[in-house]
Amino acid sequence: MSQPIEETEPREIAEFRREVRAWIEANRPGDPGFKLPQSFLEVESDRQFEFLRAWQRKLYEAGYLGLDWPAEYGGHGREGLQRIVSQEMARARTPFMVNTIGLQWAGPTILVYGSDAQKQRMLKPILSAEEIWCQGFSEPGAGSDLASVQTRAERAGDGWTVTGHKVWTTLAQHAKWMILLARTDPDVGKYDGLSYFLFPMDAAGVTVQPLVKMSGEGGFNQVIFDASPMPGDALLGELGQGWQVAMTTLTHERGAADGSGGGSLGASEGVRQVADLATRVRRHGRPAAADPAMRERLADLWIREEALRLASLRARVPGLNPERPLALRLMNKLVFSEFAQDLADVACELEGPAATLWLGDPNAPDRAEWPRAYMNSFGMTIGGGTSEIQRNILGERVLDLPKGK
Amino acid sequence: MSTRTTDLPRDFGFGEDHELLRDSARRFLEERCPVGEVRRVAEEAGGFDPALWKEVAELGWTGLVIPEVHGGAGLGALHLALLLEEMGRHLVPVPLLGATLAARAILVAGDAAQQARWLPGLASGELRATLAWLEADGAFEPDELSARAEPDNDGWRLSGTKAFVPGASWAELVVAPFRQADGALALFCIDLSAPGVNVAAEVGVDPTRPTGRIAFEDARVPADARLATSDESACRQVLDWGFTALAAEMVGGAEAALQLTAAYARERIQFGRPIGSFQAVKHPLVDAMIGVESARTLAYAAAAALDHAPAEAEVPARMAKAAAGDAFSFVARKSVQLHGGYGFTWDCDAQLYFKRCLWLRAVLGDAAHHRRHLAGALLGPGE
Ligand SMILES: Cc1cc2nc3c(=O)[nH]c(=O)nc-3n(C[C@H](O)[C@H](O)[C@H](O)COP(=O)(O)OP(=O)(O)OC[C@H]3O[C@@H](n4cnc5c(N)ncnc54)[C@H](O)[C@@H]3O)c2cc1C
Repeated sequence: MSQPIEETEPREIAEFRREVRAWIEANRPGDPGFKLPQSFLEVESDRQFEFLRAWQRKLYEAGYLGLDWPAEYGGHGREGLQRIVSQEMARARTPFMVNTIGLQWAGPTILVYGSDAQKQRMLKPILSAEEIWCQGFSEPGAGSDLASVQTRAERAGDGWTVTGHKVWTTLAQHAKWMILLARTDPDVGKYDGLSYFLFPMDAAGVTVQPLVKMSGEGGFNQVIFDASPMPGDALLGELGQGWQVAMTTLTHERGAADGSGGGSLGASEGVRQVADLATRVRRHGRPAAADPAMRERLADLWIREEALRLASLRARVPGLNPERPLALRLMNKLVFSEFAQDLADVACELEGPAATLWLGDPNAPDRAEWPRAYMNSFGMTIGGGTSEIQRNILGERVLDLPKGK
Repeated sequence: MSTRTTDLPRDFGFGEDHELLRDSARRFLEERCPVGEVRRVAEEAGGFDPALWKEVAELGWTGLVIPEVHGGAGLGALHLALLLEEMGRHLVPVPLLGATLAARAILVAGDAAQQARWLPGLASGELRATLAWLEADGAFEPDELSARAEPDNDGWRLSGTKAFVPGASWAELVVAPFRQADGALALFCIDLSAPGVNVAAEVGVDPTRPTGRIAFEDARVPADARLATSDESACRQVLDWGFTALAAEMVGGAEAALQLTAAYARERIQFGRPIGSFQAVKHPLVDAMIGVESARTLAYAAAAALDHAPAEAEVPARMAKAAAGDAFSFVARKSVQLHGGYGFTWDCDAQLYFKRCLWLRAVLGDAAHHRRHLAGALLGPGE
């Protein structure tokens, strides 16, 4: 049994794929000799950061990043090809793009709402990883209920001052810029009083405090603004249009917009990895791959993974989406994150008690990759809008169910 | 393994003394072992609190299921289950689980002299022992074990590796199964200072439960290290106690995670109301509760079977281990998920239960493993 679908790609796509595959083979970074984070969410040390940043720059300089972005802003204007690169990176298990928030959330939003000056200024350094981005949406009191953000941006001469408190801010410690959702008018409805800014993280009065994750890893922070100044041209879109702009960002973040950046949401080779693990670890005196219960679970996960992978193809063929054109895209984040969580859980089960060995134990299979992945998978089912919220959105927007209060 | 449902006492044999034990354990642990203390012991003392061990011994918990003639309290499996449930709830940083199972093994397989030699020290908590049963690939069933014992002059030579041993670095003595040349299993009670025994602390996911790996490289032990009446049936009895004890601890851990999460769902406000009012939060919490309560039923039943019909305890004990493993896994997941971003942090206690669950669900067989054995009992051998 092979995977016939890939082979029926149009010739130019298949050629491009081969070219990318060869380039990755020749240029992928070697083992850095220290622990690498599993995703952009867990970047801690400077050396991790610089290693990943150098890899992104290399990919960009080789012409494999920003493929879908217009050439005038540093891209290549080759629509639809970034996806192929993402798939090949996932397949080769290369490190990820450290500037994912810039590539996937900020960049695409700036492409839609930015002035020409903003696009000229911001986009290219996103691709080259010269300028890292973070996302300042969530606050202690406003997570799922994002429209309740309280961080204030007030007019000050030509510019603004920002006061407030953001939390769970991934990569804030390395970021040059933040996409910031702030309240500009407290006297109108909660959606209408919001505006969206491109905030310079080196402004005065900004404090970034690291937070520790359940795995003991870092990577996210709280950010406190004490009357931090921001120039007038930091506003993205119109004043009071913040909610609408933020929704565009979230659509990209959730992979619903067919990510043009270069992350790997939805492009997973995870099941093969776990299948390989199953041949290497033993369960109860025989290879885990011989255990009927594990075989069944892995086959089930393989089906789910194929459905996800092929969905990204079907989503591009309107005629094959007769019932609910938006469903596949809006489902993507929910389905992928829960799949990844189940996969990591099954990988832990497969390892048996060895899954309780942690980084630094010489007997931990694959350097404790799977218990770490299992924990970190909750970053995906919580971050970017929780699974519960995703289900609400799908129920209301796709299935047309009445809105809950 | 018989599938006949055991004739249990209708009240599981539960009496006033059970109630007293549970209440005093609960009061003591609430006072002495709040979660902040568990975190402190994990961070500063490697997950073991010697002062607490002394207190626990004074309360009689170390000798709970050791007969009175050997200085114990002579209580039963249901007492132990209720105690471990309370301890699981508090993630108590003492290696009572391993110590108690080691004592059970000596009781089941030791002759009078061996019992008299070790049990009083175990009962008083002065002798530090644990059970070293699992091998590096997680194997633990009698037919899966590969560590070997060979006669050596007037003693034994042991070789093999035992892993995931709770309290390994703390213990001075372990009870462990080894296979003899004739294929039969025997239990050995081994002084860890014996030549050829190497103990290495493991780096575990769960810092509140330190474990270790013990390598036996032609370790020489005296003849009477072999528990005199040990055979496969003794091993099975120890395992039934193990499944039940782990299930009870999981019920306690799952209960605590459930309560923690339900409390948060009552307090955390989003969209102007407590998140617990959303059915997407409420229903999984109810499913979690159903899982915990079913597991609790089975854990108590397994304990009652050990007390009243030990020959038939295997089915309920395996059921309890499987059900508690599934229930705790589900609760642990939901507990992180329903706390949102905060649930993903080190500061939120959900992670403590999540990690404890990873260990408890996996050692002595996960739910899939026990289901396979139960299916064998129900349907006959497969494949
Ligand atoms: C690893 C990670 C990285 C993150 N990175 C960033 C970042 O870079 N920038 C940023 O701005 N944010 C970031 N976040 C924050 C993330 O977007 C929020 O955590 C998320 O939106 C949930 O908000 P909350 O944490 O306040 O949880 P809450 O909203 O308090 O949710 C708690 C629980 O209640 C449930 N719930 C809430 N409302 C409802 C409802 N109406 N119906 C059903 N269930 C409901 C939720 O699903 C959840 O299970 C990150 C989070 C994580 C975990």
